[in-house]
Amino acid sequence: MRYWYLALAAGTLAAADPSYINDIVPVLQKNCVGCHQGSMKSAGLDLTSYEAFKKGGKQGDGFAQTIRYLTGEAKPSMPLGQPLLKAEIIDKFKAWVKIGAPDDSPKVESKLAPGKYSLPPVVTALRWSPDGKRLAVSGNGEVLIHSVAGEQTKLEQRLLGKSERILSIAWSKDGKLLVAGGGTPARFGEVQWWDSSSGQMLRATELPNDTVFGASLSPDGSKVAVGCTDNTVHAFETASGKELYKIGSHENWVLGTVFSADGKRLVSVGRDRAAKIMDASLGQFLENANTTQKSELNAVARHPAKDIIVMGGEDRYPYIYSMDRTRNMRVGDDAMFIQQLDRQDGVILALDWSPDAKRIAVAGASSKVNLYDADTGKPVASCSGHDAGIYAVAFSPDSKTLATGGFDGKIRLYRASDCLALTSFVPVPLEQATGGGQ
Amino acid sequence: MLLRLRTLVKLIPALCASFAMAQDQPTFLRDIAPVLNKAGCTSGPCHGSAKGKNGFKLSLRGYDAQYDYEALLYDLSGRRFNRAEPGRSLMLAKPTMEVAHGGGLRFEKDSDYYRIIYRWIAAGVPFGDEKRDAVTALDVEPREMNMQKPGESVQVKVRARFADGQTRDVTRDATVESNTPDVALVDAKSLVKGERVGEATLLVRYQGKFQTIPVTVLNPKMGFVWKSEVQNNYIDQLIDEKLKRLKIQPAGLADDATFLRRASLDLTGQAPTPEQVRAFVSDTTPVKIKRAKAIDKFIASRAYTDHWTVKWADLLQNSRKYVGEKGTFGFQEWIRESIAANKPYDKVVRELLTSRGSSYDEPAANYYRITRDAKPTMEKTTQVFLGVRMVCAQCHDHPFERWTQNQYYQMSAFFSAVGLRAGYEVGEEILFDQRANYDMKHPKDGRVVKPEFLMASAKPVAIPDGPQRRDALAEWLVSKDNPFFAKAIVNRVWSYFLGKGIIDPVDDIRASNPPVNAALLEALTKDFTDHNFDLQYLMRTIANSRTYQAAITPNEWNQNDAINFSRFIPRRMSAEQLMDAVNAASGAKAVFPEVPADLNASQFPDPHVGKEGFLDVFGRPLRESACECERRTDFSLPQALNLVNGRTISDAVADPKGRVAKLVLSGKDDTAIVEELYLAALSRLPDPAEAERAAKYLAPGPRATRAQDLLWALLNSKGFLYIY
Repeated sequence: MRYWYLALAAGTLAAADPSYINDIVPVLQKNCVGCHQGSMKSAGLDLTSYEAFKKGGKQGDGFAQTIRYLTGEAKPSMPLGQPLLKAEIIDKFKAWVKIGAPDDSPKVESKLAPGKYSLPPVVTALRWSPDGKRLAVSGNGEVLIHSVAGEQTKLEQRLLGKSERILSIAWSKDGKLLVAGGGTPARFGEVQWWDSSSGQMLRATELPNDTVFGASLSPDGSKVAVGCTDNTVHAFETASGKELYKIGSHENWVLGTVFSADGKRLVSVGRDRAAKIMDASLGQFLENANTTQKSELNAVARHPAKDIIVMGGEDRYPYIYSMDRTRNMRVGDDAMFIQQLDRQDGVILALDWSPDAKRIAVAGASSKVNLYDADTGKPVASCSGHDAGIYAVAFSPDSKTLATGGFDGKIRLYRASDCLALTSFVPVPLEQATGGGQ
Repeated sequence: MLLRLRTLVKLIPALCASFAMAQDQPTFLRDIAPVLNKAGCTSGPCHGSAKGKNGFKLSLRGYDAQYDYEALLYDLSGRRFNRAEPGRSLMLAKPTMEVAHGGGLRFEKDSDYYRIIYRWIAAGVPFGDEKRDAVTALDVEPREMNMQKPGESVQVKVRARFADGQTRDVTRDATVESNTPDVALVDAKSLVKGERVGEATLLVRYQGKFQTIPVTVLNPKMGFVWKSEVQNNYIDQLIDEKLKRLKIQPAGLADDATFLRRASLDLTGQAPTPEQVRAFVSDTTPVKIKRAKAIDKFIASRAYTDHWTVKWADLLQNSRKYVGEKGTFGFQEWIRESIAANKPYDKVVRELLTSRGSSYDEPAANYYRITRDAKPTMEKTTQVFLGVRMVCAQCHDHPFERWTQNQYYQMSAFFSAVGLRAGYEVGEEILFDQRANYDMKHPKDGRVVKPEFLMASAKPVAIPDGPQRRDALAEWLVSKDNPFFAKAIVNRVWSYFLGKGIIDPVDDIRASNPPVNAALLEALTKDFTDHNFDLQYLMRTIANSRTYQAAITPNEWNQNDAINFSRFIPRRMSAEQLMDAVNAASGAKAVFPEVPADLNASQFPDPHVGKEGFLDVFGRPLRESACECERRTDFSLPQALNLVNGRTISDAVADPKGRVAKLVLSGKDDTAIVEELYLAALSRLPDPAEAERAAKYLAPGPRATRAQDLLWALLNSKGFLYIY
């Protein structure tokens, strides 16, 4: 266990009194929160926390109204479409409200300690520092920073945070700032700002409900954009961690974002198959880049200097688009489309454009990474070695090395010109198995 | 010896250890996929839905384990498992409702399902190996269930056999379903309870494999004594064998007039004339012989050709909507000629499937013009000629059959080269065999799918690589070795005479829908192929059986049986039969502007004639589907209202040149008029009470009106509307 839970004294309750944490929460969890949760909120009601329960939904007063629905006094009776709960359970609810609905849930404070690994976790994000000397890699509840010198690598730092999964990593141009986006699935999302030299967390901002995807840093480092499961793009200010705006123009989860070269615009892609161009300072939707895509999009990357993007997903084709149209808009016109690359052997999950602008790396559910000439779209090389699919690819700043990671939990470094395998390593410190089980 | 024993003793712990190791390493294939199915994750309303649920999609009922595994691995970078801390995995937190889950609580934290998933994640989420972990077969116990009376219970036990030879009790995770729950009811623990007397089939499914268990719940009533009825041929022997076992007493023969009307309507679509009835009833030839003669006469009639042309034009979907007016007449004529000449059935189907060239010169080519594309053509070909429904397999492996999605595309590939282009005349199309880019592509990954038969036949048929491959399909399909082809048509024809297939629905033949009398279906099929696919021979065999000629009256021992053909079950006349019977009985003739005035309804080319009128109300199909079910056989309120208030019947009975008018003018007496109207409408003489009551009604009033009333009443009676 990575956390040290410290349960503080939970108030004094008479032994026979009904308890929120022991009597109420289990019932809510089994019967109610499927519909009354943060991401669904049927009737506006969220029953996943004491505060939200108390606040209630559209009908107001969470406690009193809930009892009316549980007893069938209000229709339709709850749980919806099921018989009423047993009378003694409903009586517990009533008794608990009668004594003032006390919140006896233990106040949890967690202190972070470095995790132990018996198996390597999947690698979901990796990024080179601008000087090419360090590689930041996702771990379980942490970002691990390795120094890389030729084929020699060494674990230098472990940045422990609250988020279980780190799904994207970005460095500022000067290499001082490291941003990590992620969260814990179906629980919360988080953006973390780190001082990369000291390994100190500068700040973190949490979002409710679920992880954030495809975090990207604006070229000047002042803003971070993330995609969310509530179909929005959020942007935060690096200096304060404050939310600048959120944009709700997608119709499904947003999985990737990237800023334009000048930082004035940003593109987001997602499961709604759309690539949307936004005004990055105002937080307003400008236009769709693609109009004919039929595939859910998982990843997006930009040309190092120009406003040209490559994106891909479910249908396995990498698509190259311009962020600027060359002619006036017409209905159904795909004017910004430039080129389509080869169909991949699996769904596309990760893309990168080399800093020298010459290469595009495409990876996903296949165990190979394919490299393409960014000007002609012709395949250049194919890097193999992983046991299974790949979730993250990154070119080194000098464009000479490609780092990859995925399901098998290993990092592989390839020579970017011909895919020669340079080295591979497990990025987390492995321990002897302590014999599974719960 | 001693030494050997010692070695063995030493070996045992080692063996056990390796065994334990294998047991300790759960794999997706062997351990996890069944849990996702049984916990309901892969079900249709949940993540198995075509669009998934809340962003997570699995294959429907887990038919594609590889797909589901990859969904877990690659959707959102493997967010649903955490190898570093298995207990925090989303795929454990969701189903236990540790976090909110729209699908609710699927299993408890303290459950075997939780523990196995936990262990699997802790082992690194391995897929396993098809060669080791795939289920190869199911062993079910018992193989059949015979309950002596309702109320008995029997437990189903299921063991799965894996590719590595291991077996495992999977009773808890297998799905057991009853096709007739009001006979055999299955509870959550696969305990089967006999609910009432009858038969049912249980379908046991586990990881894409399935088995069926026939269930019989016997009648516990004492005092059954088998009373032999006449057996006209092997059909009756095989029917009786089963009935005896089930303690069901079959009905005896129907009387002559009833038989004549039934056979005439079923073979020719027309009711017998009053003259035919009188002659047949008074004929003193032994019953079996005179009935056989009547059957032969019906089969030789022109009306026979008309009647069966309608049936086949339905199944082949002949309609000007698809093939134009001239095309429709041409195709109808081709069908008519095939039936009139009693062309062997295999030859007919071969001609349809291998047709090419101009749709005017070779009307059989219209077969391809109707469905046009490879996939719908394959679907109708398998449904009509093999009785197999492939349509589910377009999107996923068939849930209750062995048919896979791959097979759907392999079979479609036989037709993928077929092309149509405009001909030289208006409305003409040319069928050719080399469409550009004719390769059939698999929808999942776009790979080219080569044609392959649903199953190998005893005599292998080579499939050419080129575009002419549908010829090979035709050869395979119509072969005597094909396990479906002859069986499907025999079963279908049987249903036209007995109201229900031996396998029912007739075009849904699958292991989980077994025949109600397998021996009978087998014997009929063999007889049919032995007689060179002769449809008339088949019909003659069925029509001559006592089973077909049985009365409708139930007895104490067969009153609850509706599936074993222990008596004749009445059914409503088809739309065309009804229209023609109204005309024949009344002597009137409904006129349709689209066709010559002397055509019967059973001679109409397609549903364009008399559209949205009487015929459509009575369930004439629009020929938009190759399903037998498109022709409705129910009796609905609009039909009843049409009969009572509609003009078809009221105009017919009042026709100034019709039967009633002629009878009244002829000056015949009341008894003669009543007799004549009974014969015309019901194909039988009135019994004395009926005759007296009818004559009494005619006597006092204006005779023409009263006689019209009488005919109207007869045409609205069940004895007219039903074939019984």
